[in-house]
Amino acid sequence: MADAFGAIRAVARAELRVGWRATLLMGLVFGLVAGIVLGGIGLAGRTASAYPRLVDAVHLDDARALVAADQPQLAAAVPSLPAVAQARTDQAWIAQIDGPALRFVSIGAPTTEHDGLVEPVIVDGRAPARGAPDEVTLSEPLAQSSGLGIGATLTLRMLTLDQVSMFDVGFGPPAGSTTTVRVVGIARMPAWGGALANVQAGPAFAAKFLPDIVGYAIYARFTAEPDAAQRFGAAFARTAAVVDQISPSVVSQYLPHTVELPSATVDPSVRAAEQVLVGGLIVFVVVLALGGLQVLGQSMLRHHSARGATQRVESALGMRASERTAARALAAVGAAVVSGVLAGGVVLASGWLEPLGSQARFEPAPGFRPVWPLVVLGGIGTALVFVLVVAIAAAVAGRRRAAAVPPVRAAAVNPFRRWPAALLGMRLAMHGRVGRGGVPAVATVVAASLAMAGVVAAVAFGASLQRLVDTPARYGQAADLTIVDAREADIARIVADPRVAALDVGATGTAELADGEPLEVASRDVRKGHMPIAVAGGRMPTGPGEVAIGPRLASGLGLDVGDTIEVRRVQGGTVVLHIVGKAVLSSQNHGGIGDTAVVTPDVMRAIAPGQPLYDAAVLAVPGAADALFAELSQGLEVFQREVPTAVANLADLVTLPELLALVLAVVAGAGLVHALLTAGRRHAREVAVLSVLGATPGQVRATLAVMAATTVLPALVIGVPLGLGAARVLWWQLATATGVAGDLAVPGRLLIVIVPAVLAGALLLSLAPAARAARTPPAVALATG
Amino acid sequence: MQVSTSHEATARAMDVPLPDAVPEAAPGADGPGAPPPELVVRGLRKTYEAETAPVRALRGVDLTVGHGEFVALMGPSGSGKSTLLHLLAGLDRADEGSVTLAGVRTEELGGARLARLRRRHVGLVFQFFHLIDHMSALENVALAALVAGAKPAEATERARDLLDTLGLLEKQGERPAALSGGQRQRVAIARALANRPTLLLADEPTGALDSDGAAEVLDLFTRLHRDGQTILMVTHSADVAGGAQRIVRMRDGVLLDADTSGEPS
Repeated sequence: MADAFGAIRAVARAELRVGWRATLLMGLVFGLVAGIVLGGIGLAGRTASAYPRLVDAVHLDDARALVAADQPQLAAAVPSLPAVAQARTDQAWIAQIDGPALRFVSIGAPTTEHDGLVEPVIVDGRAPARGAPDEVTLSEPLAQSSGLGIGATLTLRMLTLDQVSMFDVGFGPPAGSTTTVRVVGIARMPAWGGALANVQAGPAFAAKFLPDIVGYAIYARFTAEPDAAQRFGAAFARTAAVVDQISPSVVSQYLPHTVELPSATVDPSVRAAEQVLVGGLIVFVVVLALGGLQVLGQSMLRHHSARGATQRVESALGMRASERTAARALAAVGAAVVSGVLAGGVVLASGWLEPLGSQARFEPAPGFRPVWPLVVLGGIGTALVFVLVVAIAAAVAGRRRAAAVPPVRAAAVNPFRRWPAALLGMRLAMHGRVGRGGVPAVATVVAASLAMAGVVAAVAFGASLQRLVDTPARYGQAADLTIVDAREADIARIVADPRVAALDVGATGTAELADGEPLEVASRDVRKGHMPIAVAGGRMPTGPGEVAIGPRLASGLGLDVGDTIEVRRVQGGTVVLHIVGKAVLSSQNHGGIGDTAVVTPDVMRAIAPGQPLYDAAVLAVPGAADALFAELSQGLEVFQREVPTAVANLADLVTLPELLALVLAVVAGAGLVHALLTAGRRHAREVAVLSVLGATPGQVRATLAVMAATTVLPALVIGVPLGLGAARVLWWQLATATGVAGDLAVPGRLLIVIVPAVLAGALLLSLAPAARAARTPPAVALATG
Repeated sequence: MQVSTSHEATARAMDVPLPDAVPEAAPGADGPGAPPPELVVRGLRKTYEAETAPVRALRGVDLTVGHGEFVALMGPSGSGKSTLLHLLAGLDRADEGSVTLAGVRTEELGGARLARLRRRHVGLVFQFFHLIDHMSALENVALAALVAGAKPAEATERARDLLDTLGLLEKQGERPAALSGGQRQRVAIARALANRPTLLLADEPTGALDSDGAAEVLDLFTRLHRDGQTILMVTHSADVAGGAQRIVRMRDGVLLDADTSGEPS
């Protein structure tokens, strides 16, 4: 055993002397690739876990409700309802804020201490001091949309409850208290809005402005029972019904007794964005890892195959295959350590990377956040994998040289091609490793096809994403301006304005399907021009028995164009509506996309009980939107087009597919370059034989060009349609989750360019081995090949 | 075996220079009316750069091979036999001297012209066969004809005829890995003959074969020579060289003598 180890050490020393540079170089390259792969895994983990970590960090509530100030008994009853383990009641205000445009904000403030329930993460500044009634924190979305930062002051003109009840008819100047507050912090939560006010104040504010409250924001945590949400919901509805009978609220139409379930309800666009980001990262990591392993394996195989004669001598001297392999693995230990350290260092540095794209908005602990287990174990694992690959390559190379080539029964003689270069070039491309180092041709084709598919899929997906972001109509924001509760007199004046290209008066309400499920419905009353509402399939409704439903609603109900839905009438009975299209509208209630069913105004009145929310959607002539907004917002509550959160999340991803495509293209390109160059070297003997037979330099170049083209063509033929198919599936899933149209934007120009470009690249690359063949006399190539 | 003899026509067709002087008649040539020699070598020198010191592989070689001759080039390992053969075939470039092949001086030819000259006049057989692994025996032979511009049907026909002549027709669909050493070498010889070369150069053609295989190959060379094929064979085996018409010995990069023991049969 000691003798064997002595021989192993001697051979390892000899290996080091001869090949330490190559091994060290491969160690550095592999360490870098492994570091990027592991860093990518860490980043994927940080990205995927950002949302749940934020949920934990803010002690997110299970249930949330907003109760009108004139129903305090309902607010007081909530903490003692079934399934409530912990509850907190804040006071709520609505205030008009000073600014260039009319704008209202909601304000929330706790009256008492609350222990571990709904504590927004302060990402900048601090929370309001307990005794300071003039300090507030802003939600990140409000801070971004208003441009207010730490130190900014804000004049709040509070509405009374009576004024809130007159939202649809107008109420004049705010009649509540007026105060000026200072922004001391910016707060982060998984989601804002509803019962959770965008402006958060402290207990001193709550005490000072108690007379002006318009409601109570109640947050609850459930007990651990599985049906806690259902029990709580039912109990809340019963209690609210009783309270409504005793003392109905004046703002019941604006504050329906609904319960939000924040911990159970995640914005689908958040999940979609997370899936896209993590999925993209995983593809990146897998491609890079496979590419790295292929390059390392191929290089090591070639490295050891070139020294096959040495192994034969060692074998003749009595060294077993395992000992020869062990010697080569031992020689690689130093390079392996270097690769491990480098990989660990790269992973450590990747701790600076914030979660990707929109998920960065959910990071509860921004800044350096290394994943130490990944740093340590990843580094060790990289070193071990490096040694393992070297050992496998050495073992394979040793066996190849030692064993006789098994006889192969050839297939029937194929008809020869007219062109000898085509005959030999294709054969060389299709036979990757007969007798010498290298990976099978099929592995190269599969890897290249997958990489090509990845590039095409990423580009097509990115193009679809870019088109969505660039086309507001595609996310239900066809109008430039939306005027809330516009009155007919105002509408008539705006219609007459020549700067207005189109104006629809919309109504939004809630109907019920035949089985009692709520259905948000909207109607569009066209007053001027044509509003370019996106229709993902079919058309908009024109008659009494027709409906166009949003893509997400259609997906949720399992319906498509041509199906029917049965909806309850206000007057009793039901009406069957034929789905004639899929219309993409943004909800006026909650901002969601693709959840709304669009009907004609007559049908709307027949199926939606209560007072609908009215708005006027205005499309300005090109270049007039800003001026129109400035003018109209002086007297009306006007909103400019806002990118919905779901689309904003996706907009953050726009560069990701492009980046992914670039990385994939670089990896695929590097892999292909490596494959073609090594194939050229590997087949140097065959090329020399061709010269011996009298092939001219031109014929040799042509042979190598055919070999290169034969290597990349299958990748194009397989990869392009595969990539388009993958992109179609991925985009459809994302579009459905987001509620937008699911048709893929096919990057036609790319597809036209990519095939000749890749082929041209391959042909150019083939010039390198051709030049080498021209430089190397055939006698030398035959002697060393 | 049909052999080309019109060197001037070759030179004209290939647009290559003729030698400055007509070389002397080769040993074994039949006098003034005989065809010119197939190969004339004058003052050939070649030095390889090595790690320690330059290796002078050829130190001024003069050699003439007449039309239809079977010459064996003998010498110990390292004497420069293979280097000489490679220079004669145009697989490497000499530092000094000239090689006149079929009346054409090869040192003045560019890569493409040299390739055309080689495909037309030279067939090469190696010790380790150098067949293309991914091709069948038939394809290996036909490839040479295709490279020379033969039409596919013609190349296939010619390859099939050669394999038939060499007793390998039933093996035409086999890849080299499935053939014995002797069979592989016969395929390599068939490939070398595919373009009806005027000169067959063989580098230790029996070196990787057992005695049966070696005898088989030697017998084949004898038959080819009998049919008029000019052959220059490198070997270190006296037994193998004994089958040749003339033996030329080589040591330390120079030719020692010219043995004319063998007569054309």
